[in-house]
Parts: sequence; C-alpha cells; structure tokens
Amino acid sequence: MASNDTLAYLRSRYLPDHLVGEILSKRWIDNAIPFSALVLTVAVLGTLLPDFLSISSLSDLARQFAEFGLVVLALTVVMISGGIDLSVASVFSLAVLFSLIGVNVYDLPVPAVLVGILLLGMACGAINGVLVGYLRLRAFLTTLVSLIIFRSIYEIVFVRMSTSLMSGFSMSDLWLFIGEGTILGVPTSLVITLLIALAWHMVLSRMRPGWRLTAVGGARRSAFNAGINVRFMVFLTYVASSTMCALAGFLFAARLGSTGSDTGVGLEVQALTAAVLGGTAIGGGRGSVAKAIIGSLLVLLLTNGLINLGISGPVTSTILGGVLLLAVFVDMRWQKHRHRILAKVYVSPAYLALPPAPQVDGPGSPYALNDRLRSVEIIGLGDIEGPEDVILDRDDNLYCGTRHGDIVRFFGPDHKRKEVFAHIGGHPLGMAFDKAGNLLVCIGGMGLFQVAPDKKVTKLTDETNRSWGSVVDDSRLRLADDVDVAPDGRVYFSEATIRYEQEEWATDALESRPSGRIICYDPRTGKTHTEIPKLVFANGVVMSRDGQSFLFAESWTCSISRYYFDGPRKGTIERVISDLPGYPDNINRASDGNYWLALLGMRGPALDLAMRMPGFRKRMARRVAPDQWLYPNINTGCVVKFNEKGEILDSLWDLGGRNHPMITSMREHKGWLYLGGVSNNRIGRYRLPDADPDWTAEDEYWGPRK
Amino acid sequence: MIASLKRAWANFRGFDIEGSSVPPMDGPLRPNARLDAMPVLLQLDEVDNLTAIGDEVVCSVGGEVLTLSRVEGPQGAEAVSTAPRHAFAVPVTAMAAHGATLAIALEGKGVQIARPGHDVRPLEAAGLPSRCVTAMAFAGPDMLYVAVGSATNTADEWKRDLMTAQSSGSVWRVDLAAGSAVRIAGGLAFACGLAVAGDRLFVSEAWRHRVLSMGHNGEDRAAALSRLPAYPGRIAPAGTGGFWLAMFAPRNPLVEFVLKEDEYRERMVATIEPAYWIAPSLATGKSFLEPIQGGARKKLNMLKPWSPAWSTGLVVRCDAAMAMQRSYHSRADGDVHGVTSACEAGGRLLVGARGSGKIVAINELTEKTAT
Repeated sequence: MASNDTLAYLRSRYLPDHLVGEILSKRWIDNAIPFSALVLTVAVLGTLLPDFLSISSLSDLARQFAEFGLVVLALTVVMISGGIDLSVASVFSLAVLFSLIGVNVYDLPVPAVLVGILLLGMACGAINGVLVGYLRLRAFLTTLVSLIIFRSIYEIVFVRMSTSLMSGFSMSDLWLFIGEGTILGVPTSLVITLLIALAWHMVLSRMRPGWRLTAVGGARRSAFNAGINVRFMVFLTYVASSTMCALAGFLFAARLGSTGSDTGVGLEVQALTAAVLGGTAIGGGRGSVAKAIIGSLLVLLLTNGLINLGISGPVTSTILGGVLLLAVFVDMRWQKHRHRILAKVYVSPAYLALPPAPQVDGPGSPYALNDRLRSVEIIGLGDIEGPEDVILDRDDNLYCGTRHGDIVRFFGPDHKRKEVFAHIGGHPLGMAFDKAGNLLVCIGGMGLFQVAPDKKVTKLTDETNRSWGSVVDDSRLRLADDVDVAPDGRVYFSEATIRYEQEEWATDALESRPSGRIICYDPRTGKTHTEIPKLVFANGVVMSRDGQSFLFAESWTCSISRYYFDGPRKGTIERVISDLPGYPDNINRASDGNYWLALLGMRGPALDLAMRMPGFRKRMARRVAPDQWLYPNINTGCVVKFNEKGEILDSLWDLGGRNHPMITSMREHKGWLYLGGVSNNRIGRYRLPDADPDWTAEDEYWGPRK
Repeated sequence: MIASLKRAWANFRGFDIEGSSVPPMDGPLRPNARLDAMPVLLQLDEVDNLTAIGDEVVCSVGGEVLTLSRVEGPQGAEAVSTAPRHAFAVPVTAMAAHGATLAIALEGKGVQIARPGHDVRPLEAAGLPSRCVTAMAFAGPDMLYVAVGSATNTADEWKRDLMTAQSSGSVWRVDLAAGSAVRIAGGLAFACGLAVAGDRLFVSEAWRHRVLSMGHNGEDRAAALSRLPAYPGRIAPAGTGGFWLAMFAPRNPLVEFVLKEDEYRERMVATIEPAYWIAPSLATGKSFLEPIQGGARKKLNMLKPWSPAWSTGLVVRCDAAMAMQRSYHSRADGDVHGVTSACEAGGRLLVGARGSGKIVAINELTEKTAT
C-alpha cells in the first residue's frame, strides 16, 4: 500500500466526512445559525454585564419571555401558514386593558376574566381570519388595518378608564399567583407558555393539523389539490394567533397590574424580528416552535442587554432593525445556497481497495468470455420497464416488477400473455415465494410487501430499529433490495443503502461506504430488526441448503459472504468470494446444487484506481456533472455459477450488452434460465443445456406440491 | 503569487479559468447523425491517411499503403476495393501528395518520397524529427510542410501525450530540392493537421482545442478556430474552396477534470493500459474494462445519442478562412467513430473513420447552409 493510500485509508476510516452532509440534510439544521447567534449573544452580554446571568435578572427575563414568546409563537403560526399578523400587538394591548378593567376596576373573578379575554382574542382573530381566509384579502393590509382599529379601540377605552384603572386594585390570590407566583421555582407564566409551546410543537411536528398548516404555507395550491380545506386552515391560524396574544396580554396585566399609553407599541415589529431571526420564513411553509423560542430569546436578550448597557431606546430600535436586516439577508443566502452546499458535500466517498480483478480471458479461466446470452429468447419486449428480479411459480407463470410499481405476471408456459398481478407503487425489486405461496417483494422506496395468490397486497414492514448514533433516519427502509425466506418462515432481506434513494443507487457506488444492511422480518411476531449492519451495498440474498445460513452479496466490494442465523456458528460471517470481476447482484439457487449470481456491471481499472483515491472521487462529485461521473461499467451482461465453497464454475456473457446489459437477477426454472435487469425493457430466457428439466425452486425450498 | 491565489480560489469555488469547460456543440456544430446515414464504402480496420493522388485515392493501414478503386458492390451499391501499393515494417503516420508524388511518413523512419518510376526514397532533410509525424502538406512540388505531434511520444501514443500534458509538437518546412528543414513553429500541444492556403498555413493544435493560422515562416500566428468542443485533427482542402476538418475525438468534462487531477493522472498513466484510461479515444465499447460515465449507462437497452462518450465521429466543413460552416456527426450511439482523415475525390468526400474501421462517402459537397 502506497503511503498516500495509507493516508487516504486512515482519513476515510476515521474522519466521518459523510456526517457533514447528513447533518446538513436535516430539517433542524436551519436552526444552527440562529442558535449560534443566541449562544454568542449570551456569551458577549454575559461578559459585558456582570449581573446579566444573575438569578433575579433571569427570573425577570423568564416572565418577559413568557409573554413575548407567546406573541412570537402566535406570529410564527400565522407565518408558517403563509400569512402575517401585524395586529398581534394591538390584540395584546387590548387584552392587557380589558384584563385590568375586569380584575381591577370591576373586581370580576379572575377565571371569568381569563375566559372573557380569550373570547375577545378569538373574536379579534376571527375578524382577521374571515377577512384573510374566506374573503381572501391581503394578509398584510388586512392585519395592518385591524392593527390600527384595535389600537384605536384601546386608545378610546384607555382614555375613558384611565382614572379608574389608576385607583383600581385587586386582592385576588390567583391574580397574584399568575403575575408573580412560581411553580417549583419556575414563574407561573413561563410554565403556561412552555406548556403551550410544547403543545404547538407536538401539533406542528407530529400531528395532522400541523402538517396541513405547513402544507398550506408551503404550497397553497398543492395543499388545496391534496384536499386540505385551505380557507378554514388560514382562518384557524388567525384565531389561534389572536387568542395566544390575548393570553400574553392577560399574563402581562397580571404581572405589572397597570397599563400605559405605550403598552404594546412596536411589539409587532419586535415579534416579527424575533420570528425572522429564529428562521421562520416570511413566505410560509417553514417554521417551528424551536425557531420561535430561539428568536424571541435573542431579541429579548439583545433589547435587555442594550438597555442595561445604557443605550437609549431609539438607538436600541435602530440596532434591532439592523439585526432584522442582517437576519433576512442571512436567511435568504442560506435558503438559496443550502441545497447547493448539500449537493456538493453530501457525496462522501470512502477508501476501498479491491483485490486484483481475475483475468477473464486467460486460458482455463472460469470467466472465459462468450456471447451465450446474446441470442436468448426474449419475453415481454417493450411491455415492461425495469424487471429487476424475475420469479416463477409452480405453474410456470413468470412474475417481474416494473418501474411503474406493478408486479406483472406472464402466463406460462409460453409467457406470451400478461396481466398486472398487483400494483403496489415504488419499484418492486427482489422477490421470493414463502411456504404458503405468497409472493414477497422488496420495494425500493417502500419496504417489504406480500402479494397473496388471490392478489391481495399486504405491507409486511417498512421500518426497522433505529440504530444509535446514525444521523440519517435509518429506521425507514429506503432501498430494500433482495429477499429470501428461511425454512422456519423468517424473512431475510437486504437494504442496499440508507443514504440514497432507489434511483440514486449508482451514487452509492461512487461512495462505496458501508451503509447497507441485512434486515430480518419475523412473521410469527411481526417484528423487524437489523440483522447485519454496515454492509457495502448489501444486495442478493439466498438461503443456503444447510438451513442455517444464507449467502449475501455486497456489490461494491465485489464479494459474497455467508451469514449463519442458526446452528453452532450463529451470528458469524464468513467471506465466500472476495475477488469477483464485476459487481454482484442477486443470487439464486441452481438445479445442480450450486448458485447463480448476476453481475450487474464489470470492474474497470480506472474505477478501481479511483476507489483507492476518495479525494479524487469527492472532487469529481463536486466539479463534474452527475451524468459525467465515472461509474461501474454496467453495459455488459454477465451471469456466473458458483458452488458452496465459492469456486466459480461457469459464466454466461452478453458482451457489449446488446440484449441484456446490466443483468440484475436470474432464476432457473425447469431447465431454463430467466434473466432480469433493472433498467432493461425485456426478460431473457436461456436454455440451460445440461440442467434438470423438472427442477423448480419452489419444490426445493418447500417440498413438492401437496 | 496572486495568480496562484486566484487559481486556488477558482479551484475552491469551481470556476473555470483555464478554458477547461467544454463548450457546447452548437451553431455549425449542432449534432446530427448524418455521418451514420452516409453510405459505407468499405469496412477496413485501422484505416487512416486517406489521400488523393491524381485521380486515385490511397490510404494506410498500419504499415501498408493501399490504393482504393471504385467497384460495384452488392445490389448495385457503391463500394471500393483495395490493392496494395507499398508496405513498410513500421506504421505509416501521415501522407501527402502533390501531382504524382507521394510523401509517406513512417514512425521512427522519417519521411519517404514515392515518385512514379522511382524507388521509394527517404527524404533528405537535416534536423527533421523522424518520429510522430502526424500530418504533411505540399505547398509546391519541392515544398513540404510537416507537422510533428510530439517530441517524446509516437503518433500512436497520442493518448499518453495528452494525458501527460505534453506540448512538444512542431511544424517544419522542408525544401525537397535543397534537402533542408526549418522549424517554423514549436511548443505546440500536439500539432496534428496541416493545410496550405495561399500565403497562410493552418495547423491543428489538438490539446489546446484550436486551429492556428500562421505565415509560411511561422510568423503572425493567430487562432483561426479556438475553444473547440472536440480535438481537431487533419485538414483536407475542399474542391470548391475551404477545408474539411476531421475532429478525431470529443472533449469530455471528466477528461478535463482528470487533466487537472495530477495524482490520479500519474497513477493512471503508470499502472493502467491506455485503452482503459479516462481519456478520449477513437472507438469505445470494445471491452468492459473501459470506464463509462453516468450518462452512458444503457437505459431500456438503449444508449442515448447524447450520452457522454470517449469517442464520436465528426467532420466539419470550413470556409477558406477556416470558419466552420456545417458538420457531419456520428454520436455516442453511432458507429462511424474516430475520423482521422478525409479527402475529396471524384466529386465526393471520402471519410476515414479509423476508430470504427470504415470509409464512408459524403456526396453533398456544395450544401451552403449550416444545419
């Protein structure tokens, strides 16, 4: 190993490059910039102001946050749905005023006042909601108008009531508890706000109404087409927003017990700054509770800090305005470039040194070149697209998946007529029959499905256990690939990669990172778990004849391994073949006790060299368009036969891939070998000269038909 | 210092400041499949150096020089047959004719002159390199221009010359009567095409993707064609004025990338057979050991014509000032690849596709419009 190879190996082994892309592809990465800004603000203000982080200052901050955070949250909800609510501040001040009038002047019971205030908020929100949601007025103008109207009502009522407000005073304990009390040391109002925030977080991230809300903001027309009641959703957001503002006003009134002519003035600008600083998109469709909290903390800390530093109010506002401008700028750049950065850094090639490829044209080579697959019989030419795997049942019917998500059945014995056996979606890949004659299908992008002989489709599993420390969500099945059934009914299937979707499988070749796995589904318990993690593009799976182990292929390492799932060697893996001349795909049984293996593409020296130079491939992924990337040579068809010991016995070729480039699967059935290819438009049928003409895989797996 | 900083920044941001982005095939180079549609006159592996001498056309295959003659093919189709004319032990790398005089460049043996009624005699020209003569053109009975591709590699090693980033080509003027040779241009990145037009000389400089125009002493050098999307090769005069330019291989963004990746390139050149390099080629698809690119994967058993390719076929009609007028393509899915020579004879153009081993004929010589 050359020294630069050693370096490349160590680097790719110990530096988790791929995590950068995985973290960048997370939705929560949007919060990274606001969050670091928050940390920076705390650090700077904490050093500048000695008592900035003292208990009393924190407690005061917590109460301010309780009210301000609610207002920001209210605005965030409206902004996620694609609108804007400028009336938050005037609804807030109305609520402050009427709370004080209710409690202090008329001495009404506090719960009754609270209910009244919430109803007031709902009413204000409903006005906005009807105007914006149902009458389709512009949100900005409408709420600007309601801002002015609500504010005028406040001014009118405030002037009339100001004297009685001055003299009024409440002795209610509940009022005092809300305003100044604590629960387990936490200010009451903060507890209320945090509970509301938690509830909104659950709604927005995990519940149907929240998703609909985001959908409405993200793409209004699509949301409408998807059957969402867009107008009602928009109406609801304004009602929710004003109600939360009213609650915030109630809390504010309870805390200060008084109001002035400037209460709530400019609050909408502060709240908008906070929402945008947190990363909520003004255009809608993007926002979260975490963003609202980060944004409001940032604005509160900044204003409080600046005031403590002795900077005058107008200057503080100017600084806040500047910060808002900066936030909008950063947000715009981030949104614009995030996907470009992600596209550039996501592909993260690993070091992979393959053993020297065997000579294919040397004398006596089991890989001796021939064109035996070029003149095979062709089935379904042009009728099917992408039969990755083919399988035959006991009645000689031929099944294959297509890229349109169908399972197509060609009727035996001549396979001239066909029907859509089942339509599932995704791209059906590997297939197997279980003991009861159900067809098990791995579907790229969906998971493991079962089609009963009566065509009933059942989802068996689409998730497995989430592993610790994986950044991408590896509980979902992205690219279930090939499947086989153990004698006791347990289903073992491979997932090629957790980092790419079905149609990007070739990019995983460029990476050659161990991001595939073998998964076990147990029909007796209905549970799914990952049996073997960290395989390099786990592909074909076939049960060995010993009933205790199966063979599986790892495409990019050009190797076949055996895994014992039962018996004395349970849980161990042994390498069976490690130097194939191409990239192995599906493996299936042959009638003579050996195994058929499809090679989806051939190794070439230029790519083998690139595999030892991850930096080269990484730069290629960044600089060169994907269509121009170096790929495995899949324009050749090859099927080989090997025995239990891993010795290659025979090989069948279609050099140049006239009929069958990229053979991904083959099945032997009654003396014929059927060929499938994931990007072909045909199935091939090759007469095996010396095969058992009565042998079927079903008989061998499950015994003769009863 | 500033230049290297600029380069580092461009490298970081992925800008192209070295002209390594491949321009699109557009305008007169707009792709078509006309070369594939033309009648194939003869299947002849390794056909090269089509040259008109008097009424005859000769070509070379390895070390043999063959005379082509028109015959009736099956079903009345046109075809040509070959008859041996000369045979040498080393490959013929270039030919040129004037009247009945034929100049033949042999790899490592220098230029030979064949005159009717005389033996083939070596050309006496002191100083003229004997290796890697890639093109020749007569400017008179005693005046021969010679293009030398590389001082270090042979003509068949052109791929190595490109992938090791050489620029040691030169152009020579040989006075046959005096037996002297003068180097009129040097430091060229694989000069591999020559044409004389009055007082100007056109020289293809393949690795810099351009055709140079210069005076007879190499003075007043200018680019007649530049930023070409393919590597320009031999230039043949057209009967009605202007030229036929054979572009022997397409440029490819991955090759341009590999040319910047010094470590990979060095290891590739050192350890891998040239046929399996990431490099332009005269023909592709001969072995599965060749690299392929993402867009060249067969989908639904089809190779798309616009797939990225190591080899294509391309002949361009240029006017007297070397401006491109129209072009004849054989794209990724075609089979007239690696056109290294062309010559007009009998009112049509014979195109020699060395990569695919074919001679095809273009009959429509006077079409004016660029399509």
